[in-house]
Amino acid sequence: MASAVGSGAAVPFWRAAGMTYISYSNICANMVRNCLKEPFKSEALTREKVHFSISKWDNGVPQKPTIRSDTPEED
Amino acid sequence: MAMAAFRREGRRFAPLITPRPIAAVRSSPIPEEQAPLGVRSISTQIVRNRMKSVKNIQKITKAMKMVAASKLRAIQTRAENSRGLWQPFTVLLGDSPSVDVKKNVIVTISSDKGLCGGINSTSVKISKALHKFTSGPEKGTKYVVLGEKAKAQLMRDSKKDIELCITELQKNPLNYTQVSVLADEILKNVEYDALRIVFNKFRSIISFVPTTSTVLSPEVVEREAEAGGKLGDLDSYEIEGGETKGEILQNLAEFQFSCVLFNAVLENACSEQGARMSAMDSSSRNAGDMLDRLTLTYNRTRQAAITTELTEIISGASALEG
Repeated sequence: MASAVGSGAAVPFWRAAGMTYISYSNICANMVRNCLKEPFKSEALTREKVHFSISKWDNGVPQKPTIRSDTPEED
Repeated sequence: MAMAAFRREGRRFAPLITPRPIAAVRSSPIPEEQAPLGVRSISTQIVRNRMKSVKNIQKITKAMKMVAASKLRAIQTRAENSRGLWQPFTVLLGDSPSVDVKKNVIVTISSDKGLCGGINSTSVKISKALHKFTSGPEKGTKYVVLGEKAKAQLMRDSKKDIELCITELQKNPLNYTQVSVLADEILKNVEYDALRIVFNKFRSIISFVPTTSTVLSPEVVEREAEAGGKLGDLDSYEIEGGETKGEILQNLAEFQFSCVLFNAVLENACSEQGARMSAMDSSSRNAGDMLDRLTLTYNRTRQAAITTELTEIISGASALEG
């Protein structure tokens, strides 16, 4: 985990870009997944699908939900 | 002759009557109500229709139970494996549910679908208790709600405190990427000093423990570390690279949140399937009991009708002979 943070800049470049550790590590994990050989690669990529709908509430009133999804054709 | 007309009437009207909810659960009074009219044979149509519908409901609940059982098996191993993700964090940072901070965020985890016993109301109840416990003057407690069911329950009286609402989580099988993206969204959209995640921990198919996990913000962790206790040991770790302790703590807190949330979502999904399984099991058993009672009533009425008819035929014949 500590090694993933990598180079010892004062403020890590990804933090300066406004990312959290989670999104940074997700991008790294996706890189590793893409390095797999074929049968395992597509398997790993199909396994990690993102889908949820999120809506912010403002003073007791729900705003319009946004859908985060990797598979837009289903909607 | 008149009686025969009556009987036909009864038959004809029976299908019209049945769709109405007749005396909710008790089924036996129907034939007895008609008996004082002097109708010779009572229409059995109503009972027969009810038997049919109860049988269909039983089929559905049985099927739902099977589906829940197979889903449970798939998700249970994943939930058990995911426990290894948060345990190191608890060893390192400890879990401090009693910490007193200004901005509390309660993450209530529930299911999107119903028919799964009381797990959703349990987590809502715990969340409300936590809300009451943590709120006070100069303190703010907000909800982040996962799942339709908790949303529906919290909308009733805590509308103002809901900050974020997340649904449709279980469309694809749950995975870490999804939950971490979700955790990222939560971290970006909510200001917090402490995140309290409320979920049902899966213990066995019939027992779920409502649980809260607390994730502190890096500043609070630092403050607590200075105060000593378990977090005071943090200084004895050597930090690699050029990062400061604050940065490390921030990274750790973020990663801890996504890991704890991942485990919580899985545990809750597991509990949901378990609860659905036992709920469906008991409802198909209830349907079976009801069917038995109805069959008994049906047979008894039919028997009575046959007996009366026989008696009438015999007495008519003997009157002719006499």
